[in-house]
Amino acid sequence: MRISEILRLVMLNLSQNKFKVILTSVGIIVGSATIMMVLAIGTGGKLEVAEQFKNLNAGAIDISYESNATEFGSGGRDGGGGMPNMGGGFGGGGGFPSGGGMPDMGNGMPDMGGMNDDRMNQEKIVLSTEDMEDLAVFVPNIADTTISYTTTTEVEGGDLDSASSYTIAGVKSNYMSISNLELAMGEFLSDENDENKEKYCVLGYSIAKEIFGSVYEAYESVIYIDSRPYVVRGVLSEMGSVASGISPDTTIFIPYETGIKYITGEDVSPTITVIAEDVDEVDIVKENIESVLADSYANAEFTITDAGSKMEAASKSNETLQILLVAMAVIVFCVGGIGIMNVLFVSVKERTNEIGILKALGCSQKDILMEFLMEACFMSFIGAVLGVMLALGITPIVESFSVRVELSISGGLLSLAFGVITGTIFGFYPAYKASTLIPVVALNQE
Amino acid sequence: MSIIEIKHVNKGYMLGDEKVPVLKDINFSVEKGEFVAILGPSGSGKTTLMNIIGCMDLLDSGEYYLNGRAIHETTEKDMTQVRNKEIGFIFQNYQLISTYNVMQNIIMPLLMRGMGHKEAEEKCQEIVKLLSIDHRLEHRPNELSGGQKQRVSIARALASEPAILLADEPTGALDTVSGQEVLKLFGKLNEMGNTIVMITHDLKVAQAAKRIVKIVDGRLSDYDGTYN
Ligand SMILES: Nc1ncnc2c1ncn2[C@@H]1O[C@H](COP(=O)(O)OP(=O)(O)OP(=O)(O)O)[C@@H](O)[C@H]1O
Ligand SMILES: [Mg+2]
Repeated sequence: MRISEILRLVMLNLSQNKFKVILTSVGIIVGSATIMMVLAIGTGGKLEVAEQFKNLNAGAIDISYESNATEFGSGGRDGGGGMPNMGGGFGGGGGFPSGGGMPDMGNGMPDMGGMNDDRMNQEKIVLSTEDMEDLAVFVPNIADTTISYTTTTEVEGGDLDSASSYTIAGVKSNYMSISNLELAMGEFLSDENDENKEKYCVLGYSIAKEIFGSVYEAYESVIYIDSRPYVVRGVLSEMGSVASGISPDTTIFIPYETGIKYITGEDVSPTITVIAEDVDEVDIVKENIESVLADSYANAEFTITDAGSKMEAASKSNETLQILLVAMAVIVFCVGGIGIMNVLFVSVKERTNEIGILKALGCSQKDILMEFLMEACFMSFIGAVLGVMLALGITPIVESFSVRVELSISGGLLSLAFGVITGTIFGFYPAYKASTLIPVVALNQE
Repeated sequence: MSIIEIKHVNKGYMLGDEKVPVLKDINFSVEKGEFVAILGPSGSGKTTLMNIIGCMDLLDSGEYYLNGRAIHETTEKDMTQVRNKEIGFIFQNYQLISTYNVMQNIIMPLLMRGMGHKEAEEKCQEIVKLLSIDHRLEHRPNELSGGQKQRVSIARALASEPAILLADEPTGALDTVSGQEVLKLFGKLNEMGNTIVMITHDLKVAQAAKRIVKIVDGRLSDYDGTYN
């Protein structure tokens, strides 16, 4: 038979059975759409992880102390002498542990021994600038150290109608370089700002836009944090989301000591960040950090995490997610494929009589197969195209659940191919079976 | 030379482990231009014989020559060609393709030969006029009466200009009037030079043919004037 005539028959059949075409296609539509979404969500997840870590330093090691369930000492809580702002309005003054964090005390390396006792006897362990300096001196192979904390407090000013809560981060001047942050305008906080406890701040990109409308407006304006005026010294560029720690876009950075003086008092749990010189030495550096800290705080358990293992964990869980998604896609396709096979099998069974007629009239097996193959191919192609369109259609809905969907042409083509191949195979096989029958058998099959 | 030459043909069906013979030592020949009726009661093996003559079924033993070609030695693939070129089969239950309209159904055998549909439609104009279905060409089979469907199936059989027309109970599903019309048409087609073999269980129908053979219980014999 001429190919053009076979095509004409295929078109006749398809146009006569529009409903059946749609019905058959549903499995393929769902299957293709799922493959497409799975690929898109998988790729999205991968990119998400990559982006979250883009401003994370691979050699960074975070040290924090979270629980206070250790070491209730014998009450020598006057340790490192009076904190400058001890009395400053903080409740619970009685049992309040002094952090030992006197800024001007740091030159006392020879005093180490003495200080140990002091710190060990505290009721609650609070990491301090001194601990950071200890680490900087005693742990070899480290490039830099910094200390920071976050808190939440009321902010007013700019375009804000009323006071709203924002994340405030107390940081040292080197925080910016350690966290790979970039400035859109102005300067970052300086050491002097910190030492003099000056009321300056640096705004995250989103916050600057939120409070002042633009980066330009924000620069050198004044915001009120806890009702005290802070001058905006700089505004950061948009950094995107991060996996852990501080989200720079939505944070207000102030000098470390300024925050302790005016906002938090001693009620903070700072994190010390140590940057290893060599990423390969992170493990050794971690061990050394532990032993140095153990000198100061015997028996205290610190949480020490390095960026590398965080990345590893995150990409591992992302991999798990992807395997899960692929497994889901495979299942959907098997189930969808079986559905397609059933529908096509039933419809070819129905059409076994037609195949019998074709054979009785002298249609060659080759022509019969060609016709059914083309039909299955067309149907699954329509289904696959609709499936891809469905995937495009539900993308905004999936995204509204804050799932990142990264559509790609290759994903679209793959799901298209998958749909066409599955539909064609499952549509073709029953027709092939029917075409091998001798005419009487095919005609008599009910 | 005979168009059909059947020698000692046997055919049976498996019933469980046992083979039930249906056709027993059939000898039968048809000359060019003949109009033969095979008369027999229900279950006698008429359809089984017709399917073998029409190359739709395989025989168990014996020889079958169609236009000199040894069908019993032919592969299924070549049988396809034989069916398309030599045989016009008119089924008892029409066997029209329901999704195609009348014209599309009629031209199918020609398309299978590699003809384009325009040429094929052209070629069938006379046939559809002859069978007075030329005003029903766009209709689908389910929009036709039984008589009309029978005529479409006859038109399809004629379209390929076969060596022989085979009709299985052509009047079986029709009322007397339509049945008579079909028989009249067969007479006319025979006069035009077509060779026709028709099977029926009805003596009156068989009498429309020029020659009658009888099949009883799978055995073929010449009609001796008795049938009940
Ligand atoms: N596919 C089959 N499998 C098993 N037995 C069959 C099959 N086809 C026919 N038979 C048997 O073969 C015998 C002849 O059947 P056939 O259809 O040839 O009869 P027939 O003369 O055409 O009858 P009718 O006039 O009722 O159509 C019957 O006894 C039937 O039961
Ligand atoms: Mg019969």
